[in-house]
Amino acid sequence: MSSVLDVVLSSAFLAAVLRVATPYLLAAFGGLVAERAGISNIGLEGQMLSAACTGALVAGYSGSVTAGAVCGIAVAALLGLLLAALRLELGADAIIAGIGLNLLASGATAYTVFTFLDDKGGTSGLKSGTLPTVALPGIESIPVLGDVLSGQNTVTWLAFLAAPAVAWLFYRTRFGFHLRAVGEMPEAAASVGIAVRRVQYAGLALSGALAGLAGVFLSMGYVSFFVRDMTAGRGFIALAAVFLGGLRPWGVFLAALGFGAAEALAVQLGTLDVPPQLVSTIPYALTLVALAVYAWRRKRRGAGEVTAASM
Amino acid sequence: MTATLVETEDRRAYRATRRRDLAVDLSMTLATILAALAIGFVVMLATGKDPVRAYEAMLTGPLERSFRVGRWLEDATTLTLLGLSVAIPFRARQISLGAESQLYAGALAAAMVAIFVPLPPVVAVIVPLVAAAAAGAGMGLVPGAMKARLGANEIVATLMLNAIAVRVYDYLVNGPLKQPGSTAVHSDPIRPDSALTPLQEWFGVPLGRANTGFVLMLLTAVALWLLITRTPLGYRIRMTGSNPDFAEYGGIRVPRAIEWSFVIGGAVAGLAGAHLVQGVYGRLEPGLAGSLAFEGIVVALLARNNPLVVVVAGLFYSYLRSGGDIMEQQTDVGTEIVVVIQAVIVLLVTAQALPDLLKRRIARRQAGVR
Repeated sequence: MSSVLDVVLSSAFLAAVLRVATPYLLAAFGGLVAERAGISNIGLEGQMLSAACTGALVAGYSGSVTAGAVCGIAVAALLGLLLAALRLELGADAIIAGIGLNLLASGATAYTVFTFLDDKGGTSGLKSGTLPTVALPGIESIPVLGDVLSGQNTVTWLAFLAAPAVAWLFYRTRFGFHLRAVGEMPEAAASVGIAVRRVQYAGLALSGALAGLAGVFLSMGYVSFFVRDMTAGRGFIALAAVFLGGLRPWGVFLAALGFGAAEALAVQLGTLDVPPQLVSTIPYALTLVALAVYAWRRKRRGAGEVTAASM
Repeated sequence: MTATLVETEDRRAYRATRRRDLAVDLSMTLATILAALAIGFVVMLATGKDPVRAYEAMLTGPLERSFRVGRWLEDATTLTLLGLSVAIPFRARQISLGAESQLYAGALAAAMVAIFVPLPPVVAVIVPLVAAAAAGAGMGLVPGAMKARLGANEIVATLMLNAIAVRVYDYLVNGPLKQPGSTAVHSDPIRPDSALTPLQEWFGVPLGRANTGFVLMLLTAVALWLLITRTPLGYRIRMTGSNPDFAEYGGIRVPRAIEWSFVIGGAVAGLAGAHLVQGVYGRLEPGLAGSLAFEGIVVALLARNNPLVVVVAGLFYSYLRSGGDIMEQQTDVGTEIVVVIQAVIVLLVTAQALPDLLKRRIARRQAGVR
């Protein structure tokens, strides 16, 4: 057990947590924005995947990492808008449309990569580069903290800054107020003159963009290539973090960080004698328990208003 | 006398509406499929491929040789069972995404019995099937009870169970259940008595791994159709799905109906797992389900959750899948285009407003004529 503690307390492990948590944080904030706008974004997974693929391809062919990142994020934002349009204009079920978008992303990315590079696996044959890391002068000299923070990717910094940014957006800006009002009760929001659809479109575009940044990090953060289905369910886990975090920015932040820490731990424990698959189930089991406890408490408070429509 | 006249007139009008809606539904489904295939055509054209050759290989390929037919039927069995497994909770308007976890539970249960428990013939086939259905049902009960009794979000619960089940399964196949001394990762083979009979033995032509699981799937579909349309439980599930408040008001215990829909769906997904173990692979393989669980959702959606139509949709969709593989072998078009086509189908099907708009327009036109 002491060896486990050694692993957990090492600065290398903490640095790994920040790195592994990055896509979870960004995608979870994306999910949070959409959820608070009143449209569940199950398509996070597909938006991440599309951004990862687009980013690597554009960066590889244009030679500009920035162009790749911008295009990746833009594609993901467009997919967010598409989800909003399907929901708002064509009366689609947001959950099912999201599943459709995920399928579309999975098929289209694999098809595109195969068409361009004649490779089934990914874009490893294409030089696309990585996003820059942040070097703060003097930070290396701080003990522990220096080791943890130095050399982290720009996107990791953005992911951690996203928490206060989203909190500020929700509770300190006009748009955030409108967004929450629309998600809470669209009729009431409309009755006081809020342009409900416009707010929802903007919310879903932002949601997609955040997921896109997470996706770009996957293919351009530490590795410099796209691998088929490389998101590997992260979008769904991020969605779980949204609910586990109680739909609040800092709650979601902690939940996503927890998922990241658990995954990093599972990787580290792989070197010890613990089956990594079982360790990596812990966050999901905890989420399940938390979900039940949360629902039970709300039910006791709300005197048991359980219908098929309640979430 | 006049009363009965009015009644028959009402009835006739009602039947005409039903017929019209059914015709619209059918033609919408066909139009959806054609539109998706057309989009696939355009995509192939835009990426410099030969869509005519590709579609030819895809659409005629699966029937060209008997073992390809076998490959199709084998895939259709698993896919249709998974489609049926989500169609039932969907009927209660429960978005259960947990078919994956239920399939793995079923596969494990079937394998445990079929590998380790010596049983007399026939019983040796049935007991693992029952065990798989029970395990799947148990796995379905968890999110079902959480939703019905506590109101916990079933989407998150089923996704979490999937994540857990996939990892536990992976651990077991790589660890305790791995065949000792084997370099490849898989379990011991099941006992021969527990295997589902290959269809080859019935028809005398090579049909690959297609097996009697196909017949089992057809029977399951009919049973579920009877359950949904002809039994009180089915009525409760349907009422819960169409209007939970009204169902509650009418004396239906909505939470119970929700719970049952999850349990039944779970049992069917468990059977899909048993089919893979007892019929297809004859042992536990890593990543048994692949992406099939999510594709089952597509099948259910395409069939609008009607169990009998799910069979047709499952056969159709597996046909595209096995045709896609052949297309990839014979042309330079990747099988991924099938996933794109499938995704377009989902997006078009879920665009509820489209058929409703059409139905309303037709109804308005007919009302205008009269």
